[in-house]
Formats: sequence, C-alpha cells, structure tokens
Amino acid sequence: MISFAELALNGIVSGLVIGLAALAVTLVFGIARFANAATGDVMTLGAYAALSGAGLTGSLVLGGLFGAAAGAVVGLIGYWLVFRKLGGRSSVAALLASIGVAFMIRAVMGVAFGHGQKVFPMPMVRPWRILDIRVHPNDVNLCAVVLVTLAIVFAILHLTPIGRQMRAVADDPSLARVSGISPQKVMMALWALAGAVSGVAGTVVGIKTVVSPEMGWELLLPAFAAAILGGIGHAGGAIVAGIALGIVQEVATPFVGFTYKIALSFVVLLAVLLVRPKGLFGTVAGAR
Amino acid sequence: MTLSRRSTLQALAAASLTSTFGGRAFAQAESFRIGALNPVTGAGAPYGSGMQKMIVAAAEMVNAAGGAGGRKFEVFSEDTQTTPQAAVLAAKKLIEVNKVQAVLGTWASGVSLAVIPLANDAGILHMHTSGAPALSVPPANAKGLGYRYQATNDRFGRAFAEICQKEGYKRPATMAFNNASGIGNTEGFKKAWEAKGGKVLEAVVYEPNQPSYRAELQKVLAAKPDVIVTGSYLADTTIILREWFQSGETTKWIIPAWAANPDLVKAVGNEVSEGLIAVDSISNEGSEAFKAYDAAYRKVMNQDGLSNVYAAMTWDMVVTLALAMEAAGPGANIAAINAKIREVANPAGTKVSTFAEGKEALKKGKINYEGASSVLDFDQYGDVTPDFSVSFVSKGKIERKYVVKI
Repeated sequence: MISFAELALNGIVSGLVIGLAALAVTLVFGIARFANAATGDVMTLGAYAALSGAGLTGSLVLGGLFGAAAGAVVGLIGYWLVFRKLGGRSSVAALLASIGVAFMIRAVMGVAFGHGQKVFPMPMVRPWRILDIRVHPNDVNLCAVVLVTLAIVFAILHLTPIGRQMRAVADDPSLARVSGISPQKVMMALWALAGAVSGVAGTVVGIKTVVSPEMGWELLLPAFAAAILGGIGHAGGAIVAGIALGIVQEVATPFVGFTYKIALSFVVLLAVLLVRPKGLFGTVAGAR
Repeated sequence: MTLSRRSTLQALAAASLTSTFGGRAFAQAESFRIGALNPVTGAGAPYGSGMQKMIVAAAEMVNAAGGAGGRKFEVFSEDTQTTPQAAVLAAKKLIEVNKVQAVLGTWASGVSLAVIPLANDAGILHMHTSGAPALSVPPANAKGLGYRYQATNDRFGRAFAEICQKEGYKRPATMAFNNASGIGNTEGFKKAWEAKGGKVLEAVVYEPNQPSYRAELQKVLAAKPDVIVTGSYLADTTIILREWFQSGETTKWIIPAWAANPDLVKAVGNEVSEGLIAVDSISNEGSEAFKAYDAAYRKVMNQDGLSNVYAAMTWDMVVTLALAMEAAGPGANIAAINAKIREVANPAGTKVSTFAEGKEALKKGKINYEGASSVLDFDQYGDVTPDFSVSFVSKGKIERKYVVKI
C-alpha cells in the first residue's frame, strides 16, 4: 500500500521546483507581456554557474548565489540586446525572439560545458521519519530556498520604490510613463529579477536532478502551465499552482499510473481555466 | 495544346536543370555515398563522436585498399542529437541533398525507429545500433534493408534473466523508461524470467525529465523485490539511484551498461554505486578485426577501443557494406549489395577480419567476416547475437566478472 501522505509530500517538493520556474515566467509575463521561452535556458545557465561556483568555493549556498547572479546578468543582456529592441512590437515577435535566445544559450552551454551530465556534489543522507512518513532533509532545505526566494521577490515588488514602479508599469505602462517612471529602468530591474529567480530555479532543479544543457528547456512546459494556472503575473499564484499540480500528479499515480500523470496535470489546468479563465489568483486584464 | 512562350521557357529551364543535375550525378558515379548519422550530442554523446570517427576511419581504410566494387566511399556526417526530430531532419538532408545510399550508425531506438521509414522509402540501407524489437520486423524492416549491429532489447532481457538466475535472485521487479528500448529490456526480461518459471513482482514504466522519481520507486519497493532490473538511461538512472539510496533500501540493481557507466558511478559516488550490476553486449574482443578497430580507435580518439562498443559496431558497418559491394561487383545497385550482406558476414566461407583480407579472399570464393563488434552473423531479421559482459561496481570501479552467452 503506497502511503498517500508520502506521495503528497513528493508532490509538494516536485511542485516547488516547477513553481520556482513558473515564478520567473510569470514575472516577465506580468510586466513585459509575453511568454519568455528563454526562461528554461536561463535556468540551465544558472545551474551551470552554480555548479562552477560551488566547485570554486566549496559551498552550495555561495554556488546558488553565483547561479542567481549569472541568471540576472544574462537576463539583463537578453533584455538589452533583444527584447528592448522589440519593445513596441507584438508579443508574438518577442516570444519568437525568446525562443531564439533560448537556442543561443543552450548552444553556448553545450559548447562550454559539454553534453554529458553533471551533478552537484551532495552528501547522501537518510530521511527522517516523522509520524512514519519519510521526510528528506534535502527537501526541507529546498523548501526553505523556495520560500526565501519568494519572500525576497515579494519584498522587492511591494516594499521597494523600484517594485512599486514595476507594479505601476504592469498595471498601466502609459500612465506610469506620464507619472515620471522611466520604463527602461523598470524593465532592467525586472529582467535582472526574473533572471536571478531563473538562476535559483535552475540551481534547485540541478541539485535535485542532473545538470545538462537540455534540462531547463524540458521544464518549460510545466512551468508555463503553473504560471497560467496561478494567474499571469501573480508571484505567489505561480508557486501555489506549481505545488497544486505537483500534488495532483503524484497522488493520482496509484490510479492513473506514471505514464499519464503528466497528462492529468494538464487536465486539471484545463478544468480550472474553464471555471476561472484568469487562473487561480489572476485579475482580468482590461483592454489597452 | 497551345505552346506559349512562358511554357516553352519553363520547359527549357527544366531541361537544362535536369541535365545539370544529371551531369553531376554521372560525374560522382565513381563514389558510394554513405551518411554517418550518429548521436554526437544528447544522451548518446559519450559514444557518438567515436562512432562517427570510426565510420570515417573505416571508409578511409576501404578507400586506401582501392575501394569496394570499384567505388570509393564518400562520408557525410550528421548529428542526431539523440532525438528523433533532429535525426529525421538530418536523415532527410542526407538522403535528399547528399543522396546517400546508406545511413549508418543511428543510436537509441526512438531515433532508429524514426529514421528507418525514410531509408525504406528511399530504398537505401540502414545499419543501426538500437535495441527495440520492433526494428526487426515489418513495418520498420519491411524491405529487409535494416541491419542491427547491437543485441535486441529482447536479447538483453534474456541476458538479464540468466544473470538473475546465476546470482540467485528470487524476487525481481522492473523499472523501464517509457520508450521502445526501455520497455523492450524489461519485457524481454519478463518473458525470459517467466519461461524459467519465475515471477516479476512489479513492473513500473516511468516518464523522462521528471524532477523526482520517488513515487515510482515507492511503488516498486513496496513489492519488496530483492533485485530491480531496469531499462533506463544515464540521467534518469542517476536520479533514481540517488533517491533509492536515500530511502535506505538495500535492493540490488541490474542495469544496462549504457546507463551504468563510469559517468553514473562518478555522479552517484562510490557508496551508492557499490554492488550495481552493469550488463553490456561486448565487442568481439581478442579477434583480429577488433585489433584493427582498436588501433584505429586509439589513433583517432586516443582512448581504448573497449571504451566504446558502439564504435566497433559502426566500424563493422562500413566493412560489411564494403565487402558486400565488392562481392556484388562494380556498379551494383542497392538491392544487389543488400543480397550480398549475409553472404559475406555469415558462415560458411573463409573467415576474414579486415576489408583488404576479404577483398583478396573474395577472388577465390565465399567469405565470412568475423567482426570487431561480434562474430556478426545476421539472422533472418538482420539481427546479430553478441555475448554479454556482467560487471560489478566495486569501490567506484566497474569490473567485469564473467560473460554470458545466450
């Protein structure tokens, strides 16, 4: 008999990983108004940076900060070289450009680090038993990383002047501009923030699985699903949706098996969107 | 029919184009074009470059020996990226633009299954290193143009069952990556194990690219198996073994060697990998053909030829193709060459180990190429039966313990 509590726990952990990626997607979507397909590959880059950082310093935490920094830098470069130029164009142009950026990053990673898999040097630890449920110390750390990241993003968005400006631009770009907010400055802050979150997400995925040039790209679809389910542009919603999809997938496995659990999460996505087209926490965007 | 100026011009243009291309084709009639379609990147990357370089090296060797059936090889190299989509694009380019007459060296069943219909449609040979049983029979091999230089997954499964019995395991369970190869391994094992009167306690099929495989493991371990037999790849095996170890269970594992390789041991560490059983089809080590291949591999790759069983297979592909062309005589078409492949590779006939030796011996009579990858006797499906090595991981080293023949 498979313990449902353990399955749900697995779901939460898988969901947190997806949720962090969805957070990066939803930040860009909320303000720059397009689905950034390069998110996955910025994650990959963050994972490689974290791997190098951890190798140099011998500390996973410092490595993760390396990953976040690298993600932020690449986010800024991507904005400055590509997305800034496409500012006035349709979101489809930006989406296609982001796919191009994704290919670029992946190719560079492949050349720089090779196509073989790499892993973080992690000590193997036995789980704790709490009420006869196996809880893995690494997973607890991972939860902490996700919560801290979410708290920082929340604080930046709601407690700092640049965050207020970001939200102003998200609400109404032209009103923000006439109020004296520099769109360029806001956008740079946004891309740096989204890049840093991607970098952390990539590091977390890398620690849980293996690091390879394709890892981020392969997580993009579930990340998009979670971002949409959570409500576009809603940071907390992305994480909650990630967890919800994770739990549904894992708890359903005794009934539908492992092959169809992924399809099932998309059925849930469809069902929720039929009832709440704006996602779990989204607000309806007015016509501009 | 009225003849306008436009249609006349079109006809003229068409005629001149045809003659241009016709002329080119005629000028190149001297060469036999082969496509080296290998997994240079992706999951097959540890093997792909070596496979491709051995096709080129073997082709150079054949050309240096004066060519096969009066023709010299011209090799066009492409990367499958170990994904069916990229492989199909590359195969289309090889077939339609480069006009290759044989596609050599696809790796991973998903890739070979995607490419073989294109080869069939073009009526050209397809030699691969994939294990999926479906590649033996129609529709994949409807025209008999496909040759497999690797053991089928079914044969791998039989070898797993032999090992299980020999090691005294009683309660096996299986975990398979959801593709033709992964499931082929575990189904082959189940068939062979049940034929021995055993029972498989649990069989889980899992999806690629999951952040965790703990739920899958939980299900398999709930059946309390004493050994888990997998049809898996490197990345998923890495994640599964780490999660398994952290669950505190002490099950044994039998894993195909394309997943249980030095990279896996490096990734999971000595403690986790201790006692894993890695199973591989082995090259025809100690044979003269293997020595020739090994020398070429060391020269180009600076590594031991034993480190890449697939490169020995691609080496043999070029040699068997060349010998069949030599046997079929100058200007033979694909069908005539195809008809000679079993004739030059299977008994009876003078045993030969290199192309040059075979070319000489063909003047006197029938030959039997004993390859670098196996003795290379194709059955009615174009499949071979290599032997299998059984290696145990001990203190971070993968050490071969014995060889299983099926």
